[in-house]
Amino acid sequence: MHTSELLQSYLVDANTWDEMYSVASVREQYKKAIVFMQQLSVDELNKKEELAKRLFMSQGITFTVYSSGEGIEKIFPFDIIPRIITGAEWDFIEKGIKQRLKALNLFLKDIYNSQFIIKDGVMPADMIYSCPHYLREMHNFPVPYDIYIHISGIDLIRNNDGSFYVLEDNLRTPSGVSYMLENREITKRIFPDLLPQNNVRSVTEYPTILHRNLVSLSPRQNKNPTIVLLTPGIYNSAYFEHTTLARLMGVELVEGSDLVVDNHKVYMKTTSGLQQVDVIYRRVDDDFLDPLVFDANSRLGVAGIMSAYRKGNVAIVNAVGNGVADDKAIYTFVPAMIRYYLNEEPILKNVPTYQLGKDEEREHVFKNITEMVIKKTNESGGYGMLMGSAATEEEITKYKAEVLLDPRQFIAQPIISLSSAPCYMDGKLQPRRIDLRPYALCGPGGIEIVPGGLTRVALKEGSLIVNSSQGGGSKDTWVLAH
Amino acid sequence: MLSKTLKKLFTLIKQPFLKPGLGIREATIFIMLSRVADSLYWMSRYMERTDGILRMLKINYASSQDDVQAFSWKPVLKIFTFLEEGPANALAHDTRGVLQYMVIGKDNPNSVLNMVTHARENGRSVQDHITKEMWQCLNDFYHTVRQEELANWLQKDDPITILDMLIKHGVLYFGTTDITMARGEGNSFINMGKYLERAVQSADILDVKFSDVNYDMDVTTDTTYWKYLLLSISGYELYLKTYRGVFEAINVVGQVVLNDQFPRSVLYSINRLHRYFERLKSERNVADFYQIDFMIGKIKTKVKYSTPDSIIEEGLHEFLTETKNELFAIGKTLSKNYFGYT
Repeated sequence: MHTSELLQSYLVDANTWDEMYSVASVREQYKKAIVFMQQLSVDELNKKEELAKRLFMSQGITFTVYSSGEGIEKIFPFDIIPRIITGAEWDFIEKGIKQRLKALNLFLKDIYNSQFIIKDGVMPADMIYSCPHYLREMHNFPVPYDIYIHISGIDLIRNNDGSFYVLEDNLRTPSGVSYMLENREITKRIFPDLLPQNNVRSVTEYPTILHRNLVSLSPRQNKNPTIVLLTPGIYNSAYFEHTTLARLMGVELVEGSDLVVDNHKVYMKTTSGLQQVDVIYRRVDDDFLDPLVFDANSRLGVAGIMSAYRKGNVAIVNAVGNGVADDKAIYTFVPAMIRYYLNEEPILKNVPTYQLGKDEEREHVFKNITEMVIKKTNESGGYGMLMGSAATEEEITKYKAEVLLDPRQFIAQPIISLSSAPCYMDGKLQPRRIDLRPYALCGPGGIEIVPGGLTRVALKEGSLIVNSSQGGGSKDTWVLAH
Repeated sequence: MLSKTLKKLFTLIKQPFLKPGLGIREATIFIMLSRVADSLYWMSRYMERTDGILRMLKINYASSQDDVQAFSWKPVLKIFTFLEEGPANALAHDTRGVLQYMVIGKDNPNSVLNMVTHARENGRSVQDHITKEMWQCLNDFYHTVRQEELANWLQKDDPITILDMLIKHGVLYFGTTDITMARGEGNSFINMGKYLERAVQSADILDVKFSDVNYDMDVTTDTTYWKYLLLSISGYELYLKTYRGVFEAINVVGQVVLNDQFPRSVLYSINRLHRYFERLKSERNVADFYQIDFMIGKIKTKVKYSTPDSIIEEGLHEFLTETKNELFAIGKTLSKNYFGYT
């Protein structure tokens, strides 16, 4: 059977932006790739899908699910059809993210120092002080080069008119960048020559840029500073990512127990004694970083590391306390921050967001609850949220009661219909909802964004939730050269 | 006045970055985390033990087909499992049961499944210190021993085919390690783990096989007994070449303990252990180094200057036990001096 009927059952939802189809024709950027796919038989496509799975498995690009005391290796589902972004779309995204990050970084500097934004009445003080991620320990501490957000992942979605919205800023320890890199490697294997034919921009620079930025942060200005990547360990679901990045940058992958602080300096324990550490790219959350300052029960961190940080003897990436800037309630204020700090109009839109802490907004949300998604401000990964359109009467009543206990911890947004993109399923292309997370790196030289990102896809038909913990997968993300 | 050439020579000598012989600039001093060294060492020990057990299973299975009536798995179970007398006796004549237990037994800490899992877990936590190819070997091996069909195959199919397939996975790992792993500290720890494990294993196999015949050096009637022992450690061909096919217990001791050309002999393994250990010498940990250097040197010399006759005079069991105890002590001191990170 030939796959000329590959597109036959591709039915785009009327109220949705489709990345591939516009009215009834394939968009320019998808044409070459789709023609290529159509030349392949279903058998060949299935084989490619199989090969992709095998490559992920044998390279250990897996996460471990623990059930009944035994670890089961799972691969993060991968769809073989790439998501394609045009050069013009990318320019817009890049400009928008850079603007946003500039403002967010200024916000962090401000909020941990002079707090002009509160004094000028742009943001209410209780918004800040009620946020659990706001850390007094960061007050009046000059972080190197005034950079707080060295690494970020900004989640973007597209509304039915195709315009981009920021769904979420991830400014703490955003994950998934290894999938951006590995998905590309897999595409190279399963579709030889397709990437150069389409003029796809490369993403391989990411580790190089990150490494260069880390080196530049070293407090000791020696030629070869010691840089480490601090991981919570092999049981962390993102462990694969930690090893990949450490390997690609050639830096040491350490666990909390490998480090020790002496006289406000951080050392790692080696086979030939202690070796001073200059820069720590940590993938351990703030709470667990230092048992002397934060969660005393943490075994993932290093006792005394905060004092070494505050003394300026070690650089920590990302800065501690960034959570106050990507809190879902603070999110509402980002457009105001952009206007306040940069005197510019925001390029990327925010999704309208209701604060359930405010009585009239809560009433509005409760009245229109079937068109809303309600989220907890301090949860991520798609946990603790209510999709008004899909919830039962009973679930809604229960959730409402939970909201009323502490309304500040909740926000609501109108359900935005994510854009759809073709996925290869059961021998055919079918539209599935997607989002996009580009990764931005900020060093003393400015902000750089590798042309690409992680496209997450809701593999269930009709689903709007792309999180991997909720049945999501990913795609290779192509940004075409102009 | 110094001549121009002499001056040039001096500047050359003074250049600190030139590494003699290589002419490359020393960009970074490679420093190894204690935890990483520990994991590499144990990854390697588990892989070596896996290989040993698989080979031994294969040959013993073949031997069980020669003489179904009398063949007992008891010695094998005694060396390689922690089974009590009762369960071991119950399993001793159940070939398929032994294979299941030794290859995929979840409650057997020394089953191939558990050891490969341990090796992989260790490898997983040091992925940035082994090559990607090595990691893939470990990972493929792991997925192979975990597949559900394996139980079925071990029950119904030809065990040799399955054991060969598993042995090949191990061999692929060893070869890949040899041709891809950088010759630094990590490689030394990998090899130390490998040879320490091998020395202990060879001593163990010999000890248990001889205990089976009450250390009676005159048991030569049943040559197949020695043949299978040698086959299980890949030493049969070498034995034939060395001793022209005469099977005598004392020659078996000679080869397995003292032949420094036999890659599974105790002496060869200790020599290698010493050789890789010596590469760890640096100015940073002199005392720790010499403590272990002394221990290895002592046992190496003891083995090297023994003869088959002197070993038998001392008592084979006593000799092997002392050797093993020395090796365990070396392992313990390594872990204290080099892997201490808690």
